[in-house]
Formats: sequence, C-alpha cells, structure tokens
Amino acid sequence: MKHTARPFVIIGVILLIAFVLSIVVGSVFISPQVLFDLVISRLEGVASKADPGGTFATILFQLRLPRAVLLLLVGAALAGSGAAYQGLFRNPLADPFLIGVASGAGLGAVIAMTIHWPYTTLGLIAIPLAAFIGAVVAVLLVTQLARVGKTVPTTNLIMAGVSVSSFASAITALLMINSTGELRRALVWLLGGSTLTGWGPVMGVLPYLLIGGGVLLTLGHSLNVMQFGDEQAQQLGIPVQKVRWIVIVSATMVTAGAVAFAGVIGFVGLVVPHIIRLLWGGDYRRLLPLSMLGGAGLLLLTDVAARTIAAPQEIPVGILTALMGAPFFLWLLKRSKSQNYW
Amino acid sequence: MKNHFIKILCIILLGILLAGCKKSVSLVSPTIQPTRNAIELVDGLGRTVRLAQPAQRIVSMAPSATEILFSVGAGGQVVGRDSFSNYPEQAKSLQDVGGSMGSYSYEMIASLKPDLVVAAEINTPEQVKALEDLGINVYYFSNPKTLDELYSILETSGTLTGHTPEAATLVASLKTRVQVVVEKTATTSTQPVVFYEIDGSDPAKPWTPGPGAFLDLLINMAGGENVGSALQSDWAQISVEEILVRNPDMILLGDSIYGVSPADVAARDNKVYGFNADLVSRPGPRLVDGLEALSMSIHPELYK
Repeated sequence: MKHTARPFVIIGVILLIAFVLSIVVGSVFISPQVLFDLVISRLEGVASKADPGGTFATILFQLRLPRAVLLLLVGAALAGSGAAYQGLFRNPLADPFLIGVASGAGLGAVIAMTIHWPYTTLGLIAIPLAAFIGAVVAVLLVTQLARVGKTVPTTNLIMAGVSVSSFASAITALLMINSTGELRRALVWLLGGSTLTGWGPVMGVLPYLLIGGGVLLTLGHSLNVMQFGDEQAQQLGIPVQKVRWIVIVSATMVTAGAVAFAGVIGFVGLVVPHIIRLLWGGDYRRLLPLSMLGGAGLLLLTDVAARTIAAPQEIPVGILTALMGAPFFLWLLKRSKSQNYW
Repeated sequence: MKNHFIKILCIILLGILLAGCKKSVSLVSPTIQPTRNAIELVDGLGRTVRLAQPAQRIVSMAPSATEILFSVGAGGQVVGRDSFSNYPEQAKSLQDVGGSMGSYSYEMIASLKPDLVVAAEINTPEQVKALEDLGINVYYFSNPKTLDELYSILETSGTLTGHTPEAATLVASLKTRVQVVVEKTATTSTQPVVFYEIDGSDPAKPWTPGPGAFLDLLINMAGGENVGSALQSDWAQISVEEILVRNPDMILLGDSIYGVSPADVAARDNKVYGFNADLVSRPGPRLVDGLEALSMSIHPELYK
C-alpha cells in the first residue's frame, strides 16, 4: 500500500490524454492553435478571431465536447457498475448488463421505435425514455423473480437475469424482423450508437452517475468483506442483504441512464475492472474508483478510433470496444505471472 | 418496504431524466431576412422549413435525395453527400459525410456550411434534430408511396433549390414515360407471376417486396403479378415452399447488384434474370427507369 496514489495518477493521465485526443481528433481538422484560441475566447466570452464563421466553435462546443463528456460519464458508469457487480456476485463474468439492464433497455427502445412519433421534444426523447423504463422494469422483474422471502440469493439473481434477458432479446428480435421501417436504426442503437447530440444527453446521464456512482464508491469496504462469503460478511457486521439492494439499485440507475442515451456498449463494464485488478489488485476501495476512471478513458480512446478509422464514416463504438479491448486484455492476462489473479 | 423504496426511487429518477432532456439551445441562430425569394414549406416530419432564398450549398443525407437533387438540375449546388450516393457519376466526387451504419459526421456537415441539408426516410428524427441544434436548415422527405407523391417531391425539390421550371419539365417527361408503359401494359391480357428477390442471404426464406412496397406497385403497373403481395408487411421474408407453390413465371434478382447471379439460384423452369435494384429501391426519379425495366422484363413481347 506504499504507492496508493500511483494507480490514480497513471489512470488519471491516461484519461486526460484520452479526453484531449477526443477533442482534438475528428473528421474535420482543427489545428491546436485554433482550438486553444476557441477555448480562450469562449472563456473570455468573445467570438474567436480564428473562426469567423463560428463553424469550428459549433463543432467544438456542440459536437466534440458534449460527446466526450457523455462517453466519459458512460464509460465510468459501465465500468463502475461492472466492478460492483463482479464483487457482489463474486463472479468474474458479471457485467453491468448481467441482470437485464441492456436487454430491457433494448426492448424498450425497439418498442418505442415501432411507433411513428411526431417530431416534438417528447417524440425525440421517447426512445431514451422507453429504454430507461425498459431497463428498470427488466431489473425489477428479475429481482422479483429471484426473491425468496426477504432475501435475493445471487444464483437466483443470475439465473433470473439471464432468462429475462434472453426473453427480452427474443422479443426485440421479433419486433425488428416484423418492423416495416428501418431496421438499421434499431441495430445501430443496439450496437451503442448514440442517438442524440448536444448537451441534453449529458444532462440526462449526469444526475444518475453522480448519485448512483457516488453510492457505489462508498461500498468498497463492504464488497471487500463480502468476498469471504455472505455468512462470514454478516458475522463481520456487514448487512449483506442491504448492501446487495443498494448495489443493484445504484448499478441499475447508472447503467440504465447510460444505456438510455448512449445505446448498449458492451465489454467496457466486463473487462475494465479485470484490467485494473490485474494491474493493481482486487481491493474494492480502489478497484471501484479506478474502474470508473479507466472505463471513461477506454471508452474515450475507443471512440477516437471509431471516429477516425473510416472517417468520415463513424463506426458504432460498441463494436470497437470489444475489438480493441479484448486483445489488450488478453495480452495483459498472458503477461501476468499469477496463476489466479481473481 | 424495500420494494416501495425502489418504486419511489424509480419515479424520482424518471423525473430527473425528463428534466435533463430540456431543449438544448443552439449556438448558431439562423438569421433569415424575409425576401421576395423566401421559401416556406412543411416537410415530411411536419416541420416548417424556411429559406430566405433557394438553397445554394446543399448536403444530401441519402442516395435518393442526391438523385432527386441532380435530376432537377440542382447538382451544382450540392456540396456534400452520404457514403451510399453513387449516382449520378458526378455525385461520387463530392465530399462524403458518412452515413453507413447509420452514423453521419455532423462536424463534416457543419464544416461544409450548408444552407440546406436534405434528409430522407433512411434518416432518423434524431439525426434531423442533431442538425437542427447546430443551426442548420433540414428538409426531410418521406418516402413516396405513389408516383404522384414522387412527382410532388420532385417539384418541392425544384422549389427548394430554385429549379422550379426544370422540375416541372422533368415531371412532365416522367409522366409521359409512365403513360407509355401503362398503355403498352393495357394491350396485353397475360399477367405473368413474378418473384422479386430483394435479398437471398438466407436462401430458405428470401426477402421480397410485400404489399405497400413501391416495388409491388411497380410490378403491378408493369403488368406482372407480385408473389410477395400475399404477404403481411412491405418488406418480408417468404418461405421457399410458398414460392414453389406459386410457381412464378419469372424470377428477378434484385440482389444481383451484390453479386448474386442467376446461376446461383435453383429454379425449375423459371426464367431467372438479374435486376438493377438501385432503380427500384431508391425513391427517386429512377423509379420510372425501374418501371420501364420491369415492363421490358415482364412483357418483352411488347417491345419487339
């Protein structure tokens, strides 16, 4: 525990680089001087001289910056809840979508897409709203199905989660096949293509992450103790059932918020906690915050790639997270000397 | 108790979500002075689109929109196009603004400083909203369901781009060509059964146009009977058994532009032909080319 701060510094620097990159890189080239001038002029509240038409300012402040902030929040939400779920279920395969958030949100979104919404504010937020409701309903259903009296055994939760997810995904697929309109819209959404731009989605995600993420960060100690098993933890003074509910509610909150606005982005929530664990061990007091920072960094870097590989075409970021993250994780796994890092 | 807590929490959270979705404010506000050239039209999403003058810098978000713009003589005003726009030839050299996998580069579009972006039904309302938030004028075309709707889209495009006379000439010539096909078709009493394959990637149940698809309408106008018209939705997968039972007189492979050849298709004594799907899958002026091509395939005897 001598170098407690070091992992935070390393991840912090990576996150900072990722953030700057995602602001600087785009399909339109804006030179660093112009970017700098734009930021300074904005802070001074005057129009930039380097950007007479205001186009670069629009690109920077209405496209790149909100997108970077949104992905930062989403990455943190997914990786943070992934770490919490892995601790709660004591299962290395647990991810933020384990108990139905993604498939519930997917079903909600696709149901909303089958309706021809009028072009109004309500019509435009109908899809994120339906996704959010779908996610919450799916998790409520899973917890109700898994409940035995006043307790929720983890095995029941996982099994109910997997079944409800499969069921919801099947209905989603059925709706998509039967839809008369564009399949691509649903497909892109399910692959993590963000649907809305600007600051609206950021403001939508922010409260969930602040509340849910904040709560998750306080649970490090409890999750550490719970690694010894429920009975042991109970005897050591951890209210196991209560912690379980708090984790489920908080993780559902942050992932549902994230999925509603950014679509289903896989892999980040599963693998970032493992990367952190491989590098700096499994103490949840550090694992949770480091996963959030790392998830934000990984998602931002992936998005930079998604926007540049085939520019001006943009690849849904959900495809690239696994495409880029998996080899990196396997390399780390192969390199690690320990037989069993979990 | 716990459950009530969760329910109440969900309601609160929904409230926050809704509050977060307030309308974002645009940095660039459109400054349009009403002039005598001002144009005001309602688009396919029911949005009122106002232009101070006919659009001079246009970005097209769909292949059909690109074809429509070029066909009314506004090709010279188009400064950007989506990745799939490959017709006419001149469109290919324009700036690509993305569009495959449903995502466009908004920053590329913004950097082109368009005074009008033309969207079509392959674009989502969210994409329209994103451009609107950037202070860009967007006109959204719904897919035409009939040829008359196609004509009115062409006329609207003429108005938006200042090419009203060219659009009127185009519509008149399209109407004449359609009339020729209709008159020829009227002289024949046979109605060959046609199976049109949109996509046979799943050979056991290929995709085919059902009732309500523009193709269904065109096949009927060209004097054929569409096997798919017995299905439920406008694009649908049909069982191969059903095709065998209907025993079509002719099979048209719309996926031949993706490399499927008549030799790949197991057919009994049917006539199998490749067909340029771009003519009939894009709701633009080439639908009439598609109608003529269908007519010649289905009733070659009328063209001897």
